Amino acid sequence: MNTQDQHGRGRTGPRPRRARLLAAAGAAALLLASGLAAPAASAAQQAGNTQQGQEQAQGQGQGHGGKVLTVAVAQSVDSLSPFLAVRLLSTSVSRLMYEYLTNYDPKDAHAIPGLATKWESSPDKLTWTYTIRSDSKWSDGQQVTAEDAAWTFNKMMTDPGAATANGSFVGNFAKVTAPSPAQLVIRLKKPQATMTALDVPIVPKHVWEKVQDFSKFNNDKSFPIVGNGPFVLTDYKPDSYVKLKANKDFWRGAPKFDELVFRYYKDQDAAVAALRKGEVSFVAGSPSLTPAQAASLKGDKDIHVNEGPGRRFYALATNPGAQAKDGTKFGDGDPSLLDERVRHALFMAVDRGTIVDKVFQGHAVQGQGYIPPRFSSYYWQPSAGQDLAYDPAKAGQLLDQAGYRKNADGKRVGKDGKPLNYRVLCHATDPNDKAVGKYLQEWWGKIGVGVSLDCLDNVTDPWLAGKYDLAFDGWSVNPDPDFVLSIHTCAARPQTPKDTGATDNFICDKTYDDLYARQLAEYDPAKRADLVKQMESRLYDLGYMNVMAYPNAVEAYRTDQIKSITTMPSAAGNIYGQDGYWSWWSAVPADSDGSSGGGTSTGVVIGIVAGVVVLGGLAVLFAVRRRSTAEDRE
Amino acid sequence: MTSAETTEAAEPTGAAGADGADGAAPGPGPRALSWQRRRASAARFWRAFRTHRAGVVGLAALVLFALVALTAPLTVGSDVASVTAAPGQPLQSPSGHFPLGTDQFGRDLLGLVIWGSRVSLLVGLLAAVLSVAIGAVIGITAGHFRGWYATVLMRVTDWFLVMPTLVLAIALATVLSRSLGTVVLAIGVTTWPTTARLVRAQTLAVESRPYIERAKALGGGHWHIMSRHVLPNVMPLVLAQTTLIISSAILAEATLAFLGLGDPTVVSWGGLLQDAREAGAVSSGDWWYLVPPGIAIAVVALAFTLCGRAVESVLNPRLGVSR
Amino acid sequence: MTAEATPSALDTAVAGPGGSGPAAAGRARSGRPGAGYARYVAGKLGGAAVSLLAVLVTSFFLFRLIPGDPVKFMTGGRPVSAEQIAAYRREFGLDLPMWRQFTQYCGKALTGDLGTSYQFHVPVTDKITEALPNTLLLTGTAFVLYTALGVFLGTRSAWRHGRLGDRFHTGLALTLYSIPSFWLGLLLIIVLSVGAGPVPGLFPTGGMESGGKEGFAYVVDVVHHLVLPVVTLVAVEYGQTLLVTRSALLDEMGGDYLTTARAKGLRDDLVRRRHAVPNAMLPTVTLIFVNLGRTVAGVILVETVFSWPGLGGLFYQALSVPDLPLVQGLFFVFAAAVIIMNTLADLLYPLLDPRVGR
Repeated sequence: MNTQDQHGRGRTGPRPRRARLLAAAGAAALLLASGLAAPAASAAQQAGNTQQGQEQAQGQGQGHGGKVLTVAVAQSVDSLSPFLAVRLLSTSVSRLMYEYLTNYDPKDAHAIPGLATKWESSPDKLTWTYTIRSDSKWSDGQQVTAEDAAWTFNKMMTDPGAATANGSFVGNFAKVTAPSPAQLVIRLKKPQATMTALDVPIVPKHVWEKVQDFSKFNNDKSFPIVGNGPFVLTDYKPDSYVKLKANKDFWRGAPKFDELVFRYYKDQDAAVAALRKGEVSFVAGSPSLTPAQAASLKGDKDIHVNEGPGRRFYALATNPGAQAKDGTKFGDGDPSLLDERVRHALFMAVDRGTIVDKVFQGHAVQGQGYIPPRFSSYYWQPSAGQDLAYDPAKAGQLLDQAGYRKNADGKRVGKDGKPLNYRVLCHATDPNDKAVGKYLQEWWGKIGVGVSLDCLDNVTDPWLAGKYDLAFDGWSVNPDPDFVLSIHTCAARPQTPKDTGATDNFICDKTYDDLYARQLAEYDPAKRADLVKQMESRLYDLGYMNVMAYPNAVEAYRTDQIKSITTMPSAAGNIYGQDGYWSWWSAVPADSDGSSGGGTSTGVVIGIVAGVVVLGGLAVLFAVRRRSTAEDRE
Repeated sequence: MTSAETTEAAEPTGAAGADGADGAAPGPGPRALSWQRRRASAARFWRAFRTHRAGVVGLAALVLFALVALTAPLTVGSDVASVTAAPGQPLQSPSGHFPLGTDQFGRDLLGLVIWGSRVSLLVGLLAAVLSVAIGAVIGITAGHFRGWYATVLMRVTDWFLVMPTLVLAIALATVLSRSLGTVVLAIGVTTWPTTARLVRAQTLAVESRPYIERAKALGGGHWHIMSRHVLPNVMPLVLAQTTLIISSAILAEATLAFLGLGDPTVVSWGGLLQDAREAGAVSSGDWWYLVPPGIAIAVVALAFTLCGRAVESVLNPRLGVSR
Repeated sequence: MTAEATPSALDTAVAGPGGSGPAAAGRARSGRPGAGYARYVAGKLGGAAVSLLAVLVTSFFLFRLIPGDPVKFMTGGRPVSAEQIAAYRREFGLDLPMWRQFTQYCGKALTGDLGTSYQFHVPVTDKITEALPNTLLLTGTAFVLYTALGVFLGTRSAWRHGRLGDRFHTGLALTLYSIPSFWLGLLLIIVLSVGAGPVPGLFPTGGMESGGKEGFAYVVDVVHHLVLPVVTLVAVEYGQTLLVTRSALLDEMGGDYLTTARAKGLRDDLVRRRHAVPNAMLPTVTLIFVNLGRTVAGVILVETVFSWPGLGGLFYQALSVPDLPLVQGLFFVFAAAVIIMNTLADLLYPLLDPRVGR
């Protein structure tokens, strides 16, 4: 230690100060860069986004000078090929790039013309004829014809690589032909009521027939990508952004914004902060903004929080004893759950009101039937006698009746003497699952039923293997409910335990299946809706799918950048992930009155001040340093 | 090797037990004698430790946190983590009633931070103990048995050493189910090589001493030599190492919890941060949800580091690192 | 030195803030110049090659343990026929027995083919080369800054050992070292990016660029995005360099030659720069290399918090599928970075050590 003290001695005045100064300068060197960068970048940003006047934009060297709508998304693109893309972002982008045969009306989601102007089915219900519009052109100038559509469907029917994403739509197709450029004929194997809801992007044959391997082609090598939707994709950088340009020749009319950019934020907080700063015009959330974020954004002057009925239901699925179509039983679902009274008791001990109030903090609607109220024609509510309202006391009675009585410790035990304890499968990435799971533990604990939460990043494996008792479940419902109904049919189960079926949680019920077959062959909308409601009623009674809530879509956008935007349903609906391209196609840029930008100028001032301070510090430091080294030169 | 000096320096304190090891030296009250020596060396250690102010401050902080964690069942009780009995509204800012505000369920955050200290400290301790235990066993055996066994072990150690720890821990936590055990395992299994190398070096140094020869000549087996002679000598090093590793284990626990790889049903500091982030506290400006757990993590990690450095510097005064 | 006591840069690297390793590292080394060095190099390179192979093997088997069938995950949400699943399995080679998959994987890996990503449908190497420059930009900048800062402050602290400045910097370094990097990142976002109170949001919240900028404006834009993640990394990383430099220098300062130099009338400043620092740099240099390797993997958190489009984010994305080829490839890259840097440090060490054959 002594030697070290030696070195400490004999130091003169200016040295320590210099050390600290230099340290401070080192740490602040970054601030310098930022101070210089901040003003330039935010100014450019502002100009690019809101078009505060052409002159400003030119001042910043912005060549294109268009109105840009920037959307913050939390997903990255899996593929730009519509044959491979399955993520919501990618399919939304597909929808903007390529026109589908039909579209959905923004008011009530009924089918309206898209690429097809009209359609009709033959009396035997097996042949559908679509008339293809003549006023749609590919962005390379070629005419869109029925041949393009026929080629797209045929490719999906013959090449497994092309059937990756949307193969299910053509599963029931027997033959697709294009007798004339304006006529597309689809021949079905069996009647199918969903023929006006074929969500398949039609691609240009003359471009795509050159593709060799559809399972590997990602459509992201040469830009712009030839399409005929309201926007043309012009640039893409993985994990950064997708850039689209307005298609001025779009048959329905050109979009109002000149450019649409989907920018990727891994972190939803970062996306919200970016909105607050004006870096982006719109935040969708994944899947929606949190209550805290919505509450804090509501206080902002230039931000509008848009809340619409969601298209998802949030449910608790019960394992009905997984079984394959060949009759093999598999999985390890708790046998006590096969008793309908137990299932009803469990659901009656779930306080849906509290879930909506506390977990969703009001940004959801209490769950009842299977299909969310947003789709009014199919929405169903249980009758007074059927309703499994929150009633823990009654739940306890039901369990008593079913033979599961409380023991001395207050735990319910079955005839085998083992206490009831259910494994609940939850998505580790979904905060709602974890939150509701905590409530379930306490609610069910009070009626004597144990819960162990099994939270995984990837729940697919135990799920498909039937290795769970209950599971958090949720689906996004399409305007045509066929798909979400089909996943509870016996036919959706896997052929053998080794296969993967389309089934959600292995439900197989004859009554339900009969109703399903009838609705699929029913081409009259009102009659079909009635059948669908009967199916929902049956599903409710079975107690295998207990819908707890319909989460709202909570999104936010800057009113100083977007003046108006179409929601779907247009009365009060959502914006991101619509059935159609209405929101981005219809968005109107805000007036360029140049009122905003106060934050920016403060930023500029502070940035400059910081820069000057740091530069000054460096200068002083440098001077001191020069002087001291000069002394040293020997 | 690296710690050749450490060995020498540790002699006054650490080597005390070795010479007095009772098994090989029958005589009047060998056990009592060895205990006496150990007590004396412990007292010497404490006197030296006391002079390290930072270390004492760290120790005081640790004692305080330990008290808080141990008395948590009395002060806040497990009800603080109940969601159905939450006393407040979601995300209330700090007030007289809730000094640190409330979380997304309306639970008292002060209570949660106190309650969470139990899991965070427990996981940190267990993971560090596991890590050091693996490291010590591998280090001692690799130092004691030479030849291919040692070569293989050290190859494995070197290999683990180059593994990116965080990446490996994330991978392990993903592979196994979500539980505290998983987190302990993931941290323990990825952080032991450091200890193994240090302990092995120390073992080599100890075994080169004459009295080991003597013990061997007297018929002392492998087990006897390792447990009675080597182990007491590496213990001080192991202790210092444990203190330092706890600090990184607590950080690692928070990291894994933050990445969503912890057990979501228990309250821990890292888990609170993850909850805060998932609730959108960052962009909503709900700082009270975010700041206290982070500070708690930093303070405890710092306290363990300070303690560890002080211990190390007592054992190896030449370094003088912490003064 | 016996054969099994392999001197390694790792001895230094493992020291952490505790600081026992660095001061002693190199002391026990018996470097051999000339032909001895050639053999040493060959040994180190051989060891590195073995390590790389071991990593390749591990990454294959470790990630097979992840629960979850990738095909089921990719198709689980959608109705898929059994034939399609079979086609998937064939496409990704998952229908083969494990040992066949392994030999196939090894064979391909040796030719630089790490397979095709399940979720992105592109070669893994493409995905990695896409993200690698971004990660290197972030880690490289941070690395240069924290090393410079750490070495500079460490030298100062050691020289002014025990004074207020030393205590302050050591304390600060230890404190920052104890802070979780992701937490610091989040706080920086709240204060400097979102803006808190009178502080306006000066920096972007995440990402690497705003898009649509070219030339100089693009560079400025990227630098602007770079600031917060770099500050975060520097803050949590420089402490270690500082402490190691400091303790190495303290160790060196006992040397008689320094007293001699000072007795000659040389200024403190000069004694420090010309004599003490070069000698004390040894452990620091080692640490620097090892850090460089580790930082590449260590940015996972910072990349996650700041939405930086680099390897860390990719790894996390790949792990949740699990996108096995991508996970394996990334794991290999992370480990390889450490191995290569360690080897470099090992190779440099004897050349730098003045106690070796001069």
